[in-house]
Amino acid sequence: MVTDPTLNLLVGKASDLFANVIEKNVREPIRYLINWGRLYSLWPVHLETACCSIEFGAASGPRHDLERFGMLEAFGSLRQCDILVVQGTVTRKMAPRMKWVYEQMPEPKWVIAMGACAISGGLYVDSYNVLQGVDKIVPVDVYIPGCPPRPETLIQGIIELQNKIRKSKV
Amino acid sequence: MQVVDQGGDKMVLHVGPQHPGSGHFRIVITLDGDYIIDAKPDPGYVHRGAEKMAEYRTYIQNIPHLERPVIIDATGITLPYVLTAEKILDVEPPERAQYIRMIMAELNRIISHLYWLAIYGIFLGHSTMFMWPMGDRELFIDLAESIGGTRVTFSYVVPGGVRNDIPGGFKERALKTFQYFEKRIKEYEEIFFNNPLMQSRTVGIGILKKQNAVKLGITGPNLRASGINSDTRKDEPYCFYNKIRFDIPVYKEGDSYARCMVRLRELQQSMDIIRQVLDRMKPGPIKHVIRGVMRGEPGEAFVRTEAARGTMFYHIVSNGERFPYRVKISVPSFRNLIGMSHLLVGSRLADMPAIYWSLDYWPVEADK
Repeated sequence: MVTDPTLNLLVGKASDLFANVIEKNVREPIRYLINWGRLYSLWPVHLETACCSIEFGAASGPRHDLERFGMLEAFGSLRQCDILVVQGTVTRKMAPRMKWVYEQMPEPKWVIAMGACAISGGLYVDSYNVLQGVDKIVPVDVYIPGCPPRPETLIQGIIELQNKIRKSKV
Repeated sequence: MQVVDQGGDKMVLHVGPQHPGSGHFRIVITLDGDYIIDAKPDPGYVHRGAEKMAEYRTYIQNIPHLERPVIIDATGITLPYVLTAEKILDVEPPERAQYIRMIMAELNRIISHLYWLAIYGIFLGHSTMFMWPMGDRELFIDLAESIGGTRVTFSYVVPGGVRNDIPGGFKERALKTFQYFEKRIKEYEEIFFNNPLMQSRTVGIGILKKQNAVKLGITGPNLRASGINSDTRKDEPYCFYNKIRFDIPVYKEGDSYARCMVRLRELQQSMDIIRQVLDRMKPGPIKHVIRGVMRGEPGEAFVRTEAARGTMFYHIVSNGERFPYRVKISVPSFRNLIGMSHLLVGSRLADMPAIYWSLDYWPVEADK
């Protein structure tokens, strides 16, 4: 009876149906829940690459206060971080270090390119020691323009990233 | 301090560039137990070739990229460049422009020192001392923004004068801010500088002796904390610093605490200077407009000024072209780096943050 081809067909149909039900009723709420959990506990790596770091510091200060948007202050240990904010120019000497830092971070991880230098080289477009755009070595999720970006711009970029995380697959 | 090698196992510790206490900078430390017996700094993570870039940009195009190395003290690094370029271009700025430059330079000094104080607070585990100066720094950024147009990178000082006049009502707002901030300085002293926890981590730590400070070429507040009364604003006055009355805070101890106190006193001094400048300023032109392409005579010029971290020195060589032939910047942070590896040897590892940031070493400035 088990080898009956019609039964196999029936089992296949039933599993399709079952998967469909799970997809709609179980996976979607779980996806929502996991993304919601990731959304408001973004923890950036403390890797300063250039001068945009002072505006990042100002954004953590009391006037702009990044924490109210669910972005914690920069932290030392890579193993607990999930967001890499590339704060400005990446030079030839810093580029391999930054890639190592990115590779050591646990999944899921996101990258924000902060400032004109991180996006395209910016002011240092004709410098001999500057990487022309950080997206050549790490995948970038959000680009924040400015030289340096104001803290408000940084906050907007982080809200954009949160919108992206909210829609992402698990 | 001399450390005798006792034999046994040594540990080599790499601090940075990904480390909360290093910034864009790495230092390789050799440890014997808890004591540092060797400290080799490894700068160059932010070397962007500012000096080379200056050779293929015109005199006016050079200003924006030259202020990026010290983005917290933008006027501190562009003012000496402009003064040097003015010697090459043979331009004399109007009187009012000189006074406005002094206002911006001193505002930038306050902004830079407050940023330093905030980070020093975090280094010593004092979160309140991060929040307070960061918050008060925004008030001075507002003042500077109302003049320069942006938060930190103004490109405000140009050859021949300044870009625009100070806005109406600036004097009242500035005096109000200073009145508020003078109260805050007393509160800073109470909560941080007179705090036994802070004092136990900084008093007698990282003592830079007078003769060593001179030998290593340390400048600025670090030199004044070692008991040497040296300030370029007094020694070789530029702008109108010779018409202003101000004292230079000098401490004899030479330890981390003295370096902190010098910077705290300088906050007060800078506000006093701006007050006097605001009283002395008269209406008038703010810019000597240079027609056509800026093209200097063949020759060379150099200028030394006092930036927030110490003496900033520019040497420009011109061969009569639109671009400078050579721009040499001598920055105070690089001297502090030499002083740091001197001070770290012989101290405990736990004292490293207290020594490191008390020197106000800004890696981007040292790397250029």
